[in-house]
Amino acid sequence: MAIEPASELASAVPEAIVAEGGRTRVAGLAPWRIALRRLRRNRVALAFGALFLVIVAMCLAAPIYASQIAHTDPFKNHLTDQITIDGVKKDVVAPSGVPIGPTYSGRFFLGADGNGRDIAVRLLYGGRTSLTIGIGAALMSTLLSIVAGTLAGFYRGRVDAVITQILNLIWSFPPVLLGIALGTALALGGLKIGPLELDGDSKLIPSIIIAIVTVPYTARPLRGQVLALREKEFVEAARAQGAGSLRIMFSEILPNLSSTLVVFFPLMVASAIGFEAALSFLGAGVRPPNPSWGTMIADGVERIITGPHLAIVPGVMLVLSLLGLNVFGDGVRDAFDPRAKVRVRRS
Amino acid sequence: MKKQASALAIATLMAVGAIGVSACGSNNKSSSSSGSAGSGGGKAKKGGSIRIGSVLPDSYDPVLLQTNQGNQALQLVYTGLVTYKHVEGPGGSELIPGLAEALPTISADRKTYTFKLRPNLKYSDGSPVKASDFEHTIKRLQFLGGPFSSFSSVIKGVTEYQKAKKADADISGITSDDATGEIKVELTEPNGSFLYAIALVSGAPTPAAKSPFKRSTPPGVGPYTIDIKNPTREFVLNKTPGFNIPGIAKGNIDTITVVKETVTKMTQDVIDGKLDFMTEDPTGDLLPEVKTKYPNRFRMDPNPPNTYWFFMNETTKPFDKKEVRQAVNYAIDSRALQRIFGGRLEPSCNFLPPSYARIGYKKIDPCPYGDPAGPPNLAKARELVDKSGYKGMNVTVWGNTKDPRPAIVEYLRDTLNQIGFKAKTKVIEQQVYFGIIGTKKTGAQIGFTDWYQDFPHPADFFEPNLSAKALASTPTFNFQFKSNPKLDEALKKLGPEADPATVADQWAALDRTVVEDANVAVYGNELTTSFFSDRMNFDCAGVHVVYKNDWSLFCLK
Repeated sequence: MAIEPASELASAVPEAIVAEGGRTRVAGLAPWRIALRRLRRNRVALAFGALFLVIVAMCLAAPIYASQIAHTDPFKNHLTDQITIDGVKKDVVAPSGVPIGPTYSGRFFLGADGNGRDIAVRLLYGGRTSLTIGIGAALMSTLLSIVAGTLAGFYRGRVDAVITQILNLIWSFPPVLLGIALGTALALGGLKIGPLELDGDSKLIPSIIIAIVTVPYTARPLRGQVLALREKEFVEAARAQGAGSLRIMFSEILPNLSSTLVVFFPLMVASAIGFEAALSFLGAGVRPPNPSWGTMIADGVERIITGPHLAIVPGVMLVLSLLGLNVFGDGVRDAFDPRAKVRVRRS
Repeated sequence: MKKQASALAIATLMAVGAIGVSACGSNNKSSSSSGSAGSGGGKAKKGGSIRIGSVLPDSYDPVLLQTNQGNQALQLVYTGLVTYKHVEGPGGSELIPGLAEALPTISADRKTYTFKLRPNLKYSDGSPVKASDFEHTIKRLQFLGGPFSSFSSVIKGVTEYQKAKKADADISGITSDDATGEIKVELTEPNGSFLYAIALVSGAPTPAAKSPFKRSTPPGVGPYTIDIKNPTREFVLNKTPGFNIPGIAKGNIDTITVVKETVTKMTQDVIDGKLDFMTEDPTGDLLPEVKTKYPNRFRMDPNPPNTYWFFMNETTKPFDKKEVRQAVNYAIDSRALQRIFGGRLEPSCNFLPPSYARIGYKKIDPCPYGDPAGPPNLAKARELVDKSGYKGMNVTVWGNTKDPRPAIVEYLRDTLNQIGFKAKTKVIEQQVYFGIIGTKKTGAQIGFTDWYQDFPHPADFFEPNLSAKALASTPTFNFQFKSNPKLDEALKKLGPEADPATVADQWAALDRTVVEDANVAVYGNELTTSFFSDRMNFDCAGVHVVYKNDWSLFCLK
């Protein structure tokens, strides 16, 4: 049973006093509804959240764009192809090796890269890769953090000591360097743990690496919360009623962590997307020829003079995605802040 | 040696052969310089220090290095009994005495070579050069399985030495007298390329006492000594005080610092003057900028002669079938690859480079797989893949990180997918690439490779890359891991000829055989570049037919 903070009840909406069959009942707002209400009023957060959703929608539509508009795929090389622009035939890649710039038409809307691949198509597919890895890594990290933080905080003692030391060990490595080391090593040989076998090119590998590297940043705050929650009266009451440890963790502890997780999650996704881009830029993330915003920026740097859009466009998409998530995440955090008051409408 | 490519200067390189001609002047196709040559002495300014950008040698051990980057640096540190003349142009292919007093006396049956060491020679650490050190060097080359060990396998007793698998076993064909400085080398059969082979860095004597049978950097005799600061980041070449071997350039620059950088960064650094030279070719959008904005310090040359192709491992599926290898040849579009090279590739289907016109190159016309300068025949390629029964098979295309290799293998990946395979790329660090794919255990199916001449002889292209002899060393350059019996037979017959020009037609026929049997998938020859900073004297470009750029000829303004 989750207990709402007293301050929320204290500011409960008077209209929630309901008359039911002659008896009155005070019906307070659930904290989720209060938070949602606060969030709805935060137009800036909503706007940036919508921006992120628009980017996600665009990336999800990548196959449609590729087949119906660009008539290619993200891997097809068009080195010796020619296209007609305003009645003039142009090389997709000139004999000197310089690729075509933005055509602002269906094919090669944002131009081509050095292998004659459509930048716009790769941009959208790259977004799918970056977002998939980012969200996947955030989900894995969250799951691992919940397990680690809850076990450590609930059981304390030796269990806490072991888990905390593991987290400290991971935390002691600079995250980018650790990510590069793991990414490079696993890219060469793949990952083989028991029945789990992943090829070096698998997109799961960067997801797993990012998840592992970022676990301490979530697990430690969760552990702190669990340490506090396990001393609460409702936990004692549950124990007195004969509930086992697992039952207590699932039914008493975890629900009280949910608001924290909801606040953390968008920020974790943003962090994971940025981390993936950094690893891919440095060659330790997504393997070629799979597109990702990070690899596209790395490739674009080579042609920064004749084709600045090759690096700038994926960079802008990355910035907008991270900005959208971060501002929205800030809005969610503000919405769940218990110190904020709900302004009620008085008749 | 893995190096770079050339095209139009066929006429200039007609003189390349067993006996070179000293010449001055640039022989390139599209050089923007007036060109000059010479040993860098006389008018060249002496002294100073320079910085060079490079992807660095694959090894600092003279018997183990494979790449041009290694050769350029270490040829200044290790001098062989004979060596190449330090001049620009075709004259650079001429052999001159190195540590030996003179070119060897060759017996009438052309099987015995007798050298005599110059007196009072000392290594860079001060220890005396002994005649017996040469045999030790050949033993190291064979024991460690250096990439060029196949060239010395013609020495009598080498086969027995290899079988003995003991470092200190004897090579019966090499006898020496430390007192007189005489070295006698007996071959199992006449071999026209033997002298050229031992003129390479891998044949340079090093002190037996300080050259263990493991990877190391022993002292050598050369105009420079090497100081490795960090093997993966930087090394320094310092002029050897008192170095004075007639005919060998002493070097104009006092200190040469070589640093590792990406190709893009080193190009920008040369533009900005932070580097004075780069061993690589500018790529991306910097090449057009360099060509147009800095013509007074940039040139392109067909040197050293080279060929680019895709290797296909004939011991693994799907390339164990000739139809598949032919399919790859039909599917390759050299025009596409030309674009990846920024226009510096001359399409070709010959295995030998055009500059070998006098000694074995004869343009294969028509090319069995279509005009290399024309469109590919994807339909025919798909038909052959269907016929092979390997359609849909997974294929990994190997490449290294040096620009533009990743783009080249990405192109091949896409092409293989178009003809019916499921291809993916595997790109690894350039410094370890050839060692990894040259190990049979790796099982590399197909990938990037190239070859720059070590010495001006067709055997230098065929033997290390395609012969059965090459398979004796690990790692090997024969990434096919199989040899064509017709090629081995031809090498046996043509190898002993002292002057390849006398059997040029037969070398040309061998070239055609290798192409028709699809042992390789050739796509062209590259023009190499020399790009200098503003403080370098462009007349001392040091373009060399063997070393690409002879750093001992460099000088400052």
